[in-house]
Amino acid sequence: MSGTKPDILWAPHQVDRFVVCDSELSLYHVESTVNSELKAGSLRLSEDSAATLLSINSDTPYMKCVAWYLNYDPECLLAVGQANGRVVLTSLGQDHNSKFKDLIGKEFVPKHARQCNTLAWNPLDSNWLAAGLDKHRADFSVLIWDICSKYTPDIVPMEKVRLSAGETETSLLVTKPLYELGQNDACLSLCWLPRDQKLLLAGMHRNLAIFDLRNTSQKMFVNTKAVQGVTVDPYFHDRVASFYEGQVAIWDLRKFEKPVLTLTEQPKPLTKVAWCPTRTGLLATLTRDSNIIRLYDMQHTPTPIGDETEPTIIERSVQPCDNYIASFAWHPTSQNRMIVVTPNRTMSDFTVFERISLAWSPITSLMWACGRHLYECAEEENDNSLEKDIATKMRLRALSRYGLDTEQVWRNYILAGNEDPQLKSLWYTLHFMKQYTEDMDQKSPGNKGSLVYAGIKSIVKSSLGMVESSRHNWSGLDKQADIQNLNEERILALQLCGWIKKGTDVDVGPFLNSLVQEGEWERAAAVALFNLDIRRAIQILNEGASSEKGDLNLNVVAMALSGYTDEKNSLWREMCSTLRLQLNNPYLCVMFAFLTSETGSYDGVLYENRVAVRDRVAFACKFLSDAQLNRYIEKLTNEMKEAGNLEGILLTGLTKDGVDLMESYVDRTGDVQTASYCMLQGSPLDVLKDERVQYWIENYRNLLDAWRFWHKRAEFDIHRSKLDPSSKPLAQVFVSCNFCGKSISYSCSSVPHQGRGFSQYGVSGSPTKSKVTSCPGCRKPLPRCALCLINMGTPVSSCPGGSKSDEKVDLSKDKKLAQFNNWFTWCHNCRHGGHAGHMLSWFRDHAECPVSACTCKCMQLDTTGNLVPAETVQP
Amino acid sequence: MFVARSIAADHKDLIHDVSFDFHGRRMATCSSDQSVKVWDKSESGDWHCTASWKTHSGSVWRVTWAHPEFGQVLASCSFDRTAAVWEEIVGESNDKLRGQSHWVKRTTLVDSRTSVTDVKFAPKHMGLMLATCSADGIVRIYEAPDVMNLSQWSLQHEISCKLSCSCISWNPSSSRAHSPMIAVGSDDSSPNAMAKVQIFEYNENTRKYAKAETLMTVTDPVHDIAFAPNLGRSFHILAVATKDVRIFTLKPVRKELTSSGGPTKFEIHIVAQFDNHNSQVWRVSWNITGTVLASSGDDGCVRLWKANYMDNWKCTGILKGNGSPVSGNSQQGNSTPSLGSNIPNLQNSLNGSSSGRKHS
Repeated sequence: MSGTKPDILWAPHQVDRFVVCDSELSLYHVESTVNSELKAGSLRLSEDSAATLLSINSDTPYMKCVAWYLNYDPECLLAVGQANGRVVLTSLGQDHNSKFKDLIGKEFVPKHARQCNTLAWNPLDSNWLAAGLDKHRADFSVLIWDICSKYTPDIVPMEKVRLSAGETETSLLVTKPLYELGQNDACLSLCWLPRDQKLLLAGMHRNLAIFDLRNTSQKMFVNTKAVQGVTVDPYFHDRVASFYEGQVAIWDLRKFEKPVLTLTEQPKPLTKVAWCPTRTGLLATLTRDSNIIRLYDMQHTPTPIGDETEPTIIERSVQPCDNYIASFAWHPTSQNRMIVVTPNRTMSDFTVFERISLAWSPITSLMWACGRHLYECAEEENDNSLEKDIATKMRLRALSRYGLDTEQVWRNYILAGNEDPQLKSLWYTLHFMKQYTEDMDQKSPGNKGSLVYAGIKSIVKSSLGMVESSRHNWSGLDKQADIQNLNEERILALQLCGWIKKGTDVDVGPFLNSLVQEGEWERAAAVALFNLDIRRAIQILNEGASSEKGDLNLNVVAMALSGYTDEKNSLWREMCSTLRLQLNNPYLCVMFAFLTSETGSYDGVLYENRVAVRDRVAFACKFLSDAQLNRYIEKLTNEMKEAGNLEGILLTGLTKDGVDLMESYVDRTGDVQTASYCMLQGSPLDVLKDERVQYWIENYRNLLDAWRFWHKRAEFDIHRSKLDPSSKPLAQVFVSCNFCGKSISYSCSSVPHQGRGFSQYGVSGSPTKSKVTSCPGCRKPLPRCALCLINMGTPVSSCPGGSKSDEKVDLSKDKKLAQFNNWFTWCHNCRHGGHAGHMLSWFRDHAECPVSACTCKCMQLDTTGNLVPAETVQP
Repeated sequence: MFVARSIAADHKDLIHDVSFDFHGRRMATCSSDQSVKVWDKSESGDWHCTASWKTHSGSVWRVTWAHPEFGQVLASCSFDRTAAVWEEIVGESNDKLRGQSHWVKRTTLVDSRTSVTDVKFAPKHMGLMLATCSADGIVRIYEAPDVMNLSQWSLQHEISCKLSCSCISWNPSSSRAHSPMIAVGSDDSSPNAMAKVQIFEYNENTRKYAKAETLMTVTDPVHDIAFAPNLGRSFHILAVATKDVRIFTLKPVRKELTSSGGPTKFEIHIVAQFDNHNSQVWRVSWNITGTVLASSGDDGCVRLWKANYMDNWKCTGILKGNGSPVSGNSQQGNSTPSLGSNIPNLQNSLNGSSSGRKHS
């Protein structure tokens, strides 16, 4: 603690005070700044604490070490060891009338002057202070002073000197120590052992020694270099740490011969080692010129001799500030809290966190354990943050029945939250596909229908080499353009793109109107233009400009459009082709690209990525020759597949190509929900059987199960079995007659494996089966319900116990559900059972089986059975 | 301001692990106080401790749930060199009425000669299997051939890793295209640097686990490792907690291209590496879709990571270990509200540099 390097100490009892000492002692008071502003003059220690300087004491020069009096003292009594070996008691208090008044200023003087290295107050006998000194010939190096001892009269002259200096209190010099130990040696560090108040552990010149004050002639010692900073573990009194250079040695006093372990050596010499007083087995170390405090977490009670298990030590480090740290001090009572001080006396107050272990729950809440505490960060349902994670999105979409609207297929994107343009494109594509498949099937129940779901790529391929182009007139302009004659396939493609409606009419009018209605003026204008109707385009733009939400600039664009000239070298053309790149709206951009393009080369339109794929494809179908079109579609398909862009499903359809595309989409987003529903929309069976598709479906079902969306899962399974009948599960339970052993359902249905027979059995709505209470094979009666004692198969009249009327309403809400009451059910453990409805109502109030003398806790056997489906909890 | 909720855990010593069951309705915690606690979530969303019992004669490092299809089954592992399997039983007393459940030990796995550092149940489709790893560097895989009898566990495989093991993670993929796979991390801190993450794959032909890959770039002690839920992806994602957070992708090279029978070859890419925790990273955990990663480190913070559509991972949230939001001048990043987990008090930040928790 030479002038440049400050040390820091927490007050042992007044836990909001600490002292920083370098050339003088400064007492600080710590305050919370959570609810208040930083006061003038206080120093910020952390985000929520600040320190105020209370007093400064510069009475004691040449300080070498400081130790805080361990008993409660309001006056902050400190012992200061000086360079000349004297130990001075000093105070930082303002009150001079305390009972410690007499002690303050007392000096304890060794026979020979040499540096005082260390001080240690006895934790039990609070008046005892041990001082460790450098070596001086054969003199003692460990002196134990009793601070209450009287001064020796032979140094009265000294006292006079001090008095003449104007001191108000009597200065007292003590020269007679209580004990003198460690003759002919040097003492570098000291600590009292909590085992006994008379045991003192000292780091001597070349050994660690335990002095027993009951018998000062004896000492226990072990030769070692690790003699600095001896400190005893406050939780295990036999465990001691000491250090030498960069290495820390941990000792067990019960087997003192050698260190029980040494910690990894640090490249720089250590300056301080301290056990955490508030937590077991946590040792903090500091090296010179470092901004890191290294922590060693010793997880285990030192084991008694004979157990050779390696102790588990976890090495950690914390970096409380950016500067080098001069010293640190653990807070005596606050858990894991410490304060550090840097050479330029900036201080920082912080808490060492325990290692945090954490886990995500399936419903996206995060739980973590820090120390002995648990924290849960739950999801806010109503949080409208910018971007939800796909896990949350899928959960919300599952609740909104996303993917299950099979009539108005396009509506699924609204169910998905109406936010993702790719999903919009996907579901419109699937909608059109479904619509035109039905169309095709009506017209010619042949193979064409399946072609629709195969996507535009396949459709266009199937029409190779049948199209010629012809010149068409621009409407409203004296100009012609080459347009492909639309064959059946191209019309279908345009229909799938949404440009034209069903029927032979190739009019884009209705499509334009709908775009205008949605406020997509730019897009509408572009589509009109691509259909060679420049007047309509201009009209649409004007409309857009004059509408409420519209952009006035559209008028300017319309003006530019109307100036269109066919001349190759005109100023108009030149300006448009350069300025169009500055247009923000991609549709405005492609309009000018189209008008300024050379005949037959439309790259400016076709490769403008910001334009929707469906518009670009429709454009290509109108203007490209077959060879060009195929090349373009091929290229675009690969691009879409690569990117996992769902707009590309328009091209690939639900084919192997589509699965490839969907694979990159799933890889990118994890959205197996969309992938599953999309593929279940109309894929041919061989695509559906693709391992990847099956795997997505499995994963999505698994998600629904984990979320306890069991009803949704069941709906999904039903939806799935419509397209893939093989996915229907087999009957899981068969009921056979006790007497003849035949399945009681066999006579009800020719296909018992479908499980239909069983469910029909015993249903009240089938009066034709008069003998439902007996086995259809042998006519013997079926077992009785344990509650109503009527043979099963009989319709349930009403639930036993009048109080259950509300539950009756509950179950009969849905007619189909009500029939469940009549089902057989039984416990797999005790084999008792009865009507499902009766059993359910019984176990609502009881834990044990309704059969007398049976103590089976049927309902509790299945923990999952007691879980409520999540859908019924959250609407 | 919304702050994470604190739950009175009532453990007498440090909690080492938290684990949710398949449905997220039950939770288990384990601690240095040698006990395991089971928590059930009430309809109102509060957690109630329904069981607490002494499980081991040393610190319990990890606890994990089996799939509910196998019943209510837990496994724990401890410093006392054992792992144990526990099952909830329906007691004869009125435990249920008092809101308490009863757990019995079904087996103790005593093969390890050193501290058992991790235990994990295999994915459900493999049957009732579990893996343990221990400080002696051996991964052991056990199987209960009869799921109705949890007292019978046979040691199926012993994989020697040559390094003290700290953590394991099963590849959760249930696709038939992917063989069973387990990743092992080591926290060996000896200076002779070796790769600390090894990946073993089950070979159908030899019926043994063989090393498929070693992540050569990870040479610092590894504290936790986690495969992301696969969710139908064509590749696997592996998060590693070492001196920083690292995310790897492992894309299987198509089988046709490799010699049949040998281990699957992978294209391994490191897609993210973050040292925002400043120092050691202790735990990593994936959300159910494998799209958000949570990590904890020596800065005393929990951080959330998420990839954008370009597969660029970035920090989408920071929380302090005591649940309070990170604020103040050390977080001057654009504080867009949370992404990812939807946790409202998270703040965007890429430059958190504070260590520990500033105090009042």
